[in-house]
Amino acid sequence: MTRTPSFSTRPLLLALTLCALLPGVAAAQVVAPGPALEGERCSVQGLMDSIRQGLESNSAAYKKYMRTLLREAAVTLPDSELRAAFERETDPVMSEHLAAALVARTERGADPEAIKAVAKRAIEERDPALRAAAVRSMRRTSALESTDGAYEKLVRDASPEVRQEAAQNIVEDIQEVYAGYHGPASDAAVSAATASTDPKVTAKILGNMNTQMISAESAGKIQSLLRSEDAEVRKAAALALGGVPAEQMASARQSVLAMYRDEQDAGVRKALLQSIAQLGFIGAIPELQRLRSTDPSLAPEIDAWIRVLGLDLQEWNLILREKQRMQQVP
Amino acid sequence: MRHTMKMTLAALASLALVPAAVTAHTVKAPFPGTITALTYYPSGGYHGAIDVSSGRCNYWGAETAVVGSVHWNVTINTSGVVCNGNGYENANMAVHTWADGWKFHQKHFIKTSDSYDRTCDRCQVGNEGGTGQATGPHAHLMQEKNGTKDTSWYSGYTTRGEAVDRSETLGVLD
Repeated sequence: MTRTPSFSTRPLLLALTLCALLPGVAAAQVVAPGPALEGERCSVQGLMDSIRQGLESNSAAYKKYMRTLLREAAVTLPDSELRAAFERETDPVMSEHLAAALVARTERGADPEAIKAVAKRAIEERDPALRAAAVRSMRRTSALESTDGAYEKLVRDASPEVRQEAAQNIVEDIQEVYAGYHGPASDAAVSAATASTDPKVTAKILGNMNTQMISAESAGKIQSLLRSEDAEVRKAAALALGGVPAEQMASARQSVLAMYRDEQDAGVRKALLQSIAQLGFIGAIPELQRLRSTDPSLAPEIDAWIRVLGLDLQEWNLILREKQRMQQVP
Repeated sequence: MRHTMKMTLAALASLALVPAAVTAHTVKAPFPGTITALTYYPSGGYHGAIDVSSGRCNYWGAETAVVGSVHWNVTINTSGVVCNGNGYENANMAVHTWADGWKFHQKHFIKTSDSYDRTCDRCQVGNEGGTGQATGPHAHLMQEKNGTKDTSWYSGYTTRGEAVDRSETLGVLD
């Protein structure tokens, strides 16, 4: 890297000058014998020892460095040694590091099966802390595609911690790895959300995912969740339906409009209004006007949407931001 | 005065609503080589991207340049070995679309068995080549949205003529 340092060098020079004025410290730095440097080979055991030492450090930067070092070295480490170390490790923190190294081997194209070994342990391990660690190691990777539907099992795990970690993985994968543009990954996320029996997990996934590339089948699954007994799930399903692809918009609009009249929860109704706005943009104004009399307490909310949609902004992010701005500064 | 303050608060509030910055992604060299063009070609024409070349056509293993797992949409417009260009529309390319609609393009590679849509971290998608609009084998690394090119992501990180290997940071996307 040849980037020119952008910070001023004056404070650094001043600090160095002041250091020189402290004879005791300066002298100690010069004369103190440092540890003898010894050459060593890059090995799984050597890296594990370094990480164990690093974990005792107070420096977050050093810990991050050790994590990065292990992941970057993973491609050249002996596969069998790495797998064996992972299989026998019982400390959740170390296990997560070793699992991340195995996952890195798959992500770097070195071993397509390595991530499956991690997913297998995430499902079959008896200790929930180790299962959660294995799940965390698969965050922001191709795990949604490359673990043969493991997430549908992980979201039904007996441990709430594991279920939440799995949901967090799915949310971050869709946002950071796929940016919502890869249909099969989005469909896998919807399948996991609907497979879960934990309303918090379902709501977390659907309430935070981009559905712009989901299939008709996935849109149907989300519509069925509009009838969930849990208000948070209904709310998340309503929000998710707002972003479905153009070919599923008509069906989604019908579902949320029909549901609005029967829904009793104010929070869910607000989510339904947002969904209607997102599905129709400026074209949703007549529908919103008709809904004003259904629940007078939400008339101000409907009026806010009508005002924003009337600006005819062309991107949903801009509409959403303008709506939030108007609410803060009427 | 009160109105001004209200406007200021509104502006600050709208800033707070701007989605939190997504994780920055470092960009590394896809293969060992030399930086042959940046924002401008040596001839002076606008380029708006990084060109990396080893000068060796069909050189093994052009890796996706973004550090971290992301999904790559790989488009193959040329199946054969092309080293010195065969028309703009025939470029082989790997594209990742970010959540905000910006796209990172990596172009010109030669098709191999690794050239398919994939989700990976610096994995191979082909060999160094000159498919598309090219005068020699190289990789073209570009960030754009609706035709507008972003040149800030590599500004200050590399210079034309710099020798790079796969571990060399060429820029940071954020």
